[in-house]
Amino acid sequence: MTISYSIKLILTDIKRFLVVSALFFCALLQSSAANAISEISISAERIEHAQGATKNTTLNLDLRDALPKLSLRSGFKAKSSPDWFQLKFNCSLASNLGSGRCSEGLIKSTHLEVPFSFELDRLSLNGKPDISATLTLNNANYSDEAGLHATEKFNGKFKLALQSMARGWAWQSQVDWLSGEVFWQPFYVAEGGHQLQASGTLNDILLNIDVARLQVKNVGGLDVSGQLRLSDYQLLSLNGSAPSLDLAAAYPLLLKPMLEKSALSNIEVGGKAALQFSIKNAELKSFELDLHHIDVADINQKFAFYNINASLPWSYDEPKEIMFSFDSGELLNLPLAKTNIVATVNRFSLTSNNIRLPILDGALSLSDVSAARIANQWYWHLRAKLEPISMADFSSRLSLPRMDGTASAEIPLVTYAGGRLTTDGSLQLKVFNGAATVSQLVMQNPLGTTPKLNADIALRNLDLGALTRTFSFGAIEGKLDGDIKQLELQNWKPVKFDAVIQSSAGRYPRKISQRAVENISSLGGAGAAVAIQRSFLHFFEQFNYQAIGLSCKLRNDVCTMGGIASTPGGYVIVKGSGIPAITVMGYNQTVAWTDLLARIKRVTTGNTIIK
Amino acid sequence: MKKILFGLLVIAGLLSNQLALAAADLELNTPAISALKGSMQQRHGQLAGFYASGAVGLTRDGLIAVKEASAVALKDRQSLNSLVASENNDRNALYKEIAIANGHAEWEAEIRSTFAQRWVQKAQSGWWYQDANGWAKR
Repeated sequence: MTISYSIKLILTDIKRFLVVSALFFCALLQSSAANAISEISISAERIEHAQGATKNTTLNLDLRDALPKLSLRSGFKAKSSPDWFQLKFNCSLASNLGSGRCSEGLIKSTHLEVPFSFELDRLSLNGKPDISATLTLNNANYSDEAGLHATEKFNGKFKLALQSMARGWAWQSQVDWLSGEVFWQPFYVAEGGHQLQASGTLNDILLNIDVARLQVKNVGGLDVSGQLRLSDYQLLSLNGSAPSLDLAAAYPLLLKPMLEKSALSNIEVGGKAALQFSIKNAELKSFELDLHHIDVADINQKFAFYNINASLPWSYDEPKEIMFSFDSGELLNLPLAKTNIVATVNRFSLTSNNIRLPILDGALSLSDVSAARIANQWYWHLRAKLEPISMADFSSRLSLPRMDGTASAEIPLVTYAGGRLTTDGSLQLKVFNGAATVSQLVMQNPLGTTPKLNADIALRNLDLGALTRTFSFGAIEGKLDGDIKQLELQNWKPVKFDAVIQSSAGRYPRKISQRAVENISSLGGAGAAVAIQRSFLHFFEQFNYQAIGLSCKLRNDVCTMGGIASTPGGYVIVKGSGIPAITVMGYNQTVAWTDLLARIKRVTTGNTIIK
Repeated sequence: MKKILFGLLVIAGLLSNQLALAAADLELNTPAISALKGSMQQRHGQLAGFYASGAVGLTRDGLIAVKEASAVALKDRQSLNSLVASENNDRNALYKEIAIANGHAEWEAEIRSTFAQRWVQKAQSGWWYQDANGWAKR
């Protein structure tokens, strides 16, 4: 005998539906007709509740076999969600209802399709309730509307056991992520093999995690314990420890997505790290990150550091000493030797008396270093000194024209605040046996998309011999002064300056080769002066000169040129002395900056032949 | 070919902007502007397919946004996100730099909205853009 009741119910309370159904089943099972009943089915068209609603609900109890079978089909919707979910499952129950198994389960909506099965391993409600159940997801798919949180073909097991205690419950759970892809912006996990095991207690006020162990495949394990307050979900405490993390595996999975905008966004890394942390009342109180034998290399070869070892403790309450060292490295192709850095970290600021980075045969020595992070912005200042480095080595490493001698520099106080880098005083460089002074140096967004730089540069007594040899300009003997005022670079290219270069005052040998004469005149425009004198110049390798000078005022991509003196038709670039005296004239008063650059490039690459 | 199309798009955008915003010279070419254009042009090759598939659309404020990440495999979604973020960085900087190059930093909003209209008008058919009513297809 099959009884089928169809109830058209609009109930405002889900409890009422359950009570009605339960009473109904009991009444039927207790009735004298029970033995004759093989199947009971109840359906409700729509049930409304404060938290949501259901529609087309059918509950079916099949009593034909020894073990009763229960099946449910229903549409449901939470009040906050616009989507309806379809739910169905079939269960077979043990006769004492102490265990059961539900299969062919499915929850489905527009963004979700989760086939599942459910196993009630233990259900004892006598005395102290004791429940244990396992939920298995088979090839579950989920995606939010934007597709920024999504999972495909997820297979996993969630096991939960609860035992009643004097106050609250004891719980044990285990989550196995067996296989499947997950993208949870910004993290992407390609495959499973991860596990979370946790146990603790639960009462009306607190969720206690006595121990939780997260094991991420290939990366390592993290152990945590803590307390969560349920009224506002505040983390009262959380202590964690990951004694050995494999960075080669952790980087693509966990670190790269978080470092996207930083210099570490595109690196190869190997080595081990250990992390400990402590959170109290939702605030990070302390951590310690230790790095062991780590190699880091930028894929675009901007930097590399080998065998990094570091101890990086931090505490909210007290200053900590940090240590950072590496055996060797490279920065923009410049080799770095073994370096040890010691600094003090005091909450959100870092200070160090001295940081010395050995570069080539010299070193960059930073002193009075202080950095702070305030409202998500970096602020720092430091002084720096470049201990003499060999220019021959330096230039070949950076694929620059070969330079001789050494370079050293004193850099006064450099301050960086709000994306703007400024210097107090002037930066002194020793180059080409002379001196370069950079003053009024200001940089904006030095690491951004549109870096800008303003400075005044003064050059004094540069050795023209060394300079012209370096840039294969044709030999000139003498000394050179230069003033580049109001220099403005955008994206490291000049957009504005007032530049004058001229031979230094004083007594020293002044000789210029024929090739240099030709090159100089080509910078000032067509070499008419040279052409006229070509026939007899031809016999001389070099000439004496009294003065050399050239100026360029750059505005709007146009350079207004001048020399050491003006003449009605042009300007004098080289004024000769003795016999034969040579005068090189410039005739182009204005030159497009790009043309001038092209001329300089032609000249310095040594391909210029002026006939 | 994509580069040429992009170039035409930028030129067309700039030319017609000039009509709408007669006072601003949108063709000014400072090193910052050309660096930004260069970087956007280089990125366009990577973005073109995403415009066509509807994964990415043009927004009303002259930027781009992930419209339908589901059009892209899970493993590529984060690189799509960062591509969009980098493009928007460049676009924001471009509008600002053009305003600065004109000596009128306060024109940025106007330059941005003119660009927004031009990007949409010059979009290829099948690309998505945002208007007052939400997403629409060209």
